[in-house]
Amino acid sequence: MILKSHLLSMIIYAFFVCVVLALIRREKRGNQIKYALSLFLFMVAGALLFGWFMYLFVL
Amino acid sequence: MQRGGGSRLYLALICKLYSFIMFLQQKMKSKSIICFLLGWLIPGLGHLSLKKFWRAGIFFVSISAMTALGLIMGGKIYSFQTENPLTILAFFSDIGNGLLYILSKVLSLGMGELKKSTFEFGTAYLAGAGLLNYLIALDAFDIAAGKKK
Repeated sequence: MILKSHLLSMIIYAFFVCVVLALIRREKRGNQIKYALSLFLFMVAGALLFGWFMYLFVL
Repeated sequence: MQRGGGSRLYLALICKLYSFIMFLQQKMKSKSIICFLLGWLIPGLGHLSLKKFWRAGIFFVSISAMTALGLIMGGKIYSFQTENPLTILAFFSDIGNGLLYILSKVLSLGMGELKKSTFEFGTAYLAGAGLLNYLIALDAFDIAAGKKK
């Protein structure tokens, strides 16, 4: 069984999504890299923040 | 008499031109639809047919890797069922995988292994790959239609 770590699974998922969306939504290479990096950071940081936020509602 | 013949010739020319334009439009439309269908069937194939080799390769590798990881993690590919309405959404995202969805039905892939702790993530990977493949196929459609470079 691979990728037992949910964090690693989420990071790999975010990576692939960012690569595909950057290629679709931006034309120039520089813009693609900027867009992919910012999207990746937003996705990972957002998921971590939301994860900690949910920790407040543990029963 | 000559005037009448000239106007008829003009009319015939206009008709020919109009039909030629319509033919070209239809051809362009069918080309973009074919690109969309190719892109949907196999990730990146639509871009490959448009000679966008790098994009096609990256799309193929990304979507294939996501799908393979989803299957290895024991994710489920949903078929159409109305018992649980939410699975209809999952079905529409899974069908975006194109050929893989058809293969999964033939080869009994993606049955979903609930015992695995990675089942949920595997299912999310498969659904995500399908949804991204829709976007890729639509991108190929736009490029073929001349809306995008």
